[in-house]
Amino acid sequence: MYEYVLAPDQDVVISSRVRLSRNYEDLPFSPKLTREYAEEVIERTADAVFKTANGAAFTLLRMEELEEDARSRLVEHHLISYDLLKYVNRSAAMVSSAGTVTVMLNEEDHVRFQGLLPGLQLERSAEMALKLDEALGQRYPFAFDHQWGFLTACPANTGTGMRASVILHLPALSTGGQMGAVMQTVAKLGLTIRGLYGEGSEAQGHLYQLSNQATLGRSEEDVIRALSAATSQIVEHERGMREAAEKKDMLQLQDRLMRSWGELMYARLMSAKEFMNRYSDIRYAAAMGYLHAPLPGLDTLMMDVQPGSLGVRAGKLISPREGEILRAKILREELQDLVAE
Amino acid sequence: MMCEDCGIRPAKFHLMTIINGDRVERNLCPTCMARHQKQIPGIDFSNLAGILNSILENKSDAREQVRSDAEYEGLVCEQCGMTYAEFQKCGMLGCAACYQAFKTPMSALLQRVHGNTQHAGRVPGGAHNGTSIRMNIDRLRQKLQKAIDDEEYEQAAKLRDTIRALTAQLERRESDIKVRPQERIASEDERGGEADV
Repeated sequence: MYEYVLAPDQDVVISSRVRLSRNYEDLPFSPKLTREYAEEVIERTADAVFKTANGAAFTLLRMEELEEDARSRLVEHHLISYDLLKYVNRSAAMVSSAGTVTVMLNEEDHVRFQGLLPGLQLERSAEMALKLDEALGQRYPFAFDHQWGFLTACPANTGTGMRASVILHLPALSTGGQMGAVMQTVAKLGLTIRGLYGEGSEAQGHLYQLSNQATLGRSEEDVIRALSAATSQIVEHERGMREAAEKKDMLQLQDRLMRSWGELMYARLMSAKEFMNRYSDIRYAAAMGYLHAPLPGLDTLMMDVQPGSLGVRAGKLISPREGEILRAKILREELQDLVAE
Repeated sequence: MMCEDCGIRPAKFHLMTIINGDRVERNLCPTCMARHQKQIPGIDFSNLAGILNSILENKSDAREQVRSDAEYEGLVCEQCGMTYAEFQKCGMLGCAACYQAFKTPMSALLQRVHGNTQHAGRVPGGAHNGTSIRMNIDRLRQKLQKAIDDEEYEQAAKLRDTIRALTAQLERRESDIKVRPQERIASEDERGGEADV
């Protein structure tokens, strides 16, 4: 029996994340951060986080002590940013046992608090990040100016230091050629949308990230409200397009999507790129009720078969071909348990 | 009218492309249109005017920026030793004091990036909206008093306008909060009912 919780709007919204950037007033910022100061950042923050009410749930991971695959796995599960790995010799992360709260240390800023939840739950994600920020801000002085707000290494984050985002699965809008219109509309609202994987206009797996652009001049609540409202609109639009596709030719839609299920069940070699397209199809099929599979389970599986996570699972360095073999094998086994046709 | 590419779906778009001076026009369905757009990455024909505009804007912006930035290149932050030229190269500041050391160009930069130069969010330790604006108003009032005492009336007029604008912003914010009470979600501990991601 696979037990799971379906988060709000999870048919379209994969997850909601809120990140807050902070710097200690008395320590130099990233470009001038020596190893000594970086260590001071880690010690201060770790000490303060461990002393919070839920501190015991956190584990401190120093990036230089982790294998490369283990670091990639954290990125693939959205627990840390890819940028944290640019500073491997000084960076660290504190990860909560539930995987919903992370504190990144010595990335571009001294401290970045992150709240991450499935589905559309921006308020709750923000609440989790802000709670830690409050606790730490009471103990140590953060760099702050009454006109410009929280001072960050890069002026693009100055103000609230808050970057809120949602990961969206938009297969019907993408294949319906609507993404151009969506991009123009969100830009007018001070938001930005881009493909989560892949480069340029190609968004692998039809996954997109929608986030706020400016951080100065609007309160945290305002930004969260605007992003939530825009997300809800896109969700409605995507659902409308899905329904229209079904109304037009349900059998054709089912045929197209379910063929991917067949490929996943029988393939012996599966590249990461091909997988993303197949995953998009079966997620779409599951959301439409053609395939009886739990959406959170599919999303977790998607992250588990990314290259770094596969390496962690294999327990050794694997070649790209070995990766394709292992990915195909895991998919066959786990989808068998996950999906009831 | 059917799509000229696939012949299956009805055409919804009229796509015009110019390849080596030859104009090609096609009536396409959304799916085939999307495929065509993919082959020409980064160009969205529906908003050509907007794109041209943004290019032109960026150009004049860039020119102005080069002119003004040259003036500030020599600025140095006494706290960490970072120069403004160094900041321009790496895009990151060396310490909190850099913001004051580079105050003039920084204010212009923040205005360009965010379209605003007044923080409206929280203050350290979790105090709520408006606190920061209120403290800024207090600071400016002190400056205004000093300007009046020193008989610098032009400066005083500017400060008075800024204070008025900030006060209006604060009032708007407070009435907004009254209408839409902030949704405080029960602050449970992390272990309280969270699903793993």
